[in-house]
Amino acid sequence: MSSLPLLPPAPAGHVLALHAGRAISQDEFLAQVLALAAALPAGRPLLNLCNDRYHFALGLFAAIAHGNLSLLPNSTAPENIAALHAAHPDLLCLSDQQEPPFGLPTLRITAPEIATATPAMPQIPPEQVVACVFTSGSTGQPQPHIKTFGRLFACAQAEARRIWATTGGPCAVLGTVPFQHMYGLESTVLLPIFGGGILCGERPFFPADVASALADLPAPRFLVTTPFHLRNLLDAEIALPPLAALLSATAPLATELATRAEAQLGAPLLEIYGSTETGQIATRRTTAGPDWALFEGLSLEQEGDYTWADGAFLEQRQQLGDVLELLDESRFRLIGRHADMINIAGKRSSLAYLNHILCKLPGVRDAAFCLPDESEAGRLAAFVVAPGLSAAAINSALRPYLDPLFLPRPLVFLDSLPRNATGKIPAAELQALIEQHLKPQESRRSAPGLSSPPRGAQHDR
Amino acid sequence: MSQQEPAASDAALEREVAGMIVEALNLEISADEIKAEEALYGDDGLGLDSIDILEVALVVSKRYGFQLKADSEDNFRIFSSLRSLAGHIAAKRTK
Repeated sequence: MSSLPLLPPAPAGHVLALHAGRAISQDEFLAQVLALAAALPAGRPLLNLCNDRYHFALGLFAAIAHGNLSLLPNSTAPENIAALHAAHPDLLCLSDQQEPPFGLPTLRITAPEIATATPAMPQIPPEQVVACVFTSGSTGQPQPHIKTFGRLFACAQAEARRIWATTGGPCAVLGTVPFQHMYGLESTVLLPIFGGGILCGERPFFPADVASALADLPAPRFLVTTPFHLRNLLDAEIALPPLAALLSATAPLATELATRAEAQLGAPLLEIYGSTETGQIATRRTTAGPDWALFEGLSLEQEGDYTWADGAFLEQRQQLGDVLELLDESRFRLIGRHADMINIAGKRSSLAYLNHILCKLPGVRDAAFCLPDESEAGRLAAFVVAPGLSAAAINSALRPYLDPLFLPRPLVFLDSLPRNATGKIPAAELQALIEQHLKPQESRRSAPGLSSPPRGAQHDR
Repeated sequence: MSQQEPAASDAALEREVAGMIVEALNLEISADEIKAEEALYGDDGLGLDSIDILEVALVVSKRYGFQLKADSEDNFRIFSSLRSLAGHIAAKRTK
């Protein structure tokens, strides 16, 4: 395959990003990327922990241009970063903070203003491995997923074709989601850069910050969010500038929430479906029905309970983590999840990993995480058998290993867990525990199109 | 307005905000257990995380009639302690 330009061809003066109140042209971005690339040490893997999305993008593209691998960890919990460093002793951290994160060897990223002529565009072999994205795995050992430049590029272009068809053209893209995970990486960094849109450096936090960040963007505007952030934004009932569309992912979105979002914000809400393994592969407009439409060129194949995706940007076929019902060549429904994946506000972990970490804490005899309220992507809870330990002690012992979003609340102490002869907790038993200990606290909403057992059931010991 | 109020009403507001946090987040502690100077966010103290902060911010906006805005350097500085949050509310509240 012939090489690809680092950035797709763009008209002269194309604004690629808005950063700290400044419009940055593709040429200036490229000049900054090349300046940073020249400062990167050859061959060392990079851990890009920039807080600002624009700085992150500079680091990512400089790494690609210079042939450095970017490591994208599943978690920035201290023990996880320490393990990553142990596995990659020559790792170099990219950061835009004053202090080196975790005391790692660090290169500080800034975005110096560069007035420049048009620099020569680097040509990248599509098979160049540019990123290694980790998922949490089931045994405490993060699982690496290799991403080539050609795949990320083609996947983002496929996403752009799909989304710009709804918005009427390339948009300025604002995200509330972390961009070190696949959803945020693809939809808030690669979509605007490879799809001819405008990347927005800000990562707004409070609803009022989302409103002011959107107001700083030119129309058409595209907001990338999650069910949790979306509900919080709608509940705040503040005025937002007109949006061309919104995007949600990472957890099932209740149709009621989608309907409300479209009415309140006056824009179509798309949901995107993907995984760390495959990248994004399908979208739907939630209010239009439960069917997902595959990206052009992809195909799905069913083998028993499992579905495989193939074609287009996938170099080889990939197994999906969910149970799908294929409707025809390009449409499917999501029936349920194969157990294990947990997504909260754009961060991903797995029940198996969380249970592994909790069960190996000193003093914990048995434990099981669960997600009592799937539709809200709400907080995890855990049942634990740990005589003599307090919830506070368990939580502080978990902190080095888990992102705080995954800490269980509440922790319910039991004398034993209802495991069956094979060591699993049957779904009905887990549901009974949830009903008994967790249900009265909050309102319940049903998950759209999912009638699966409670997440957390059937965990093998 | 509220900034000049005597310390007793500051303490009362701190207790009110503590109660609101416990209720909004279904915490398994009583409001009295949240100390005024203790960290709300992060690895110490109450240990709230970013989604907790958004939940609390929503309740604050409803009850006190203003929207929280992130500090440019640190989204969570006003959440550094109950006292800091209550002080921010006292300064910004419209109801």
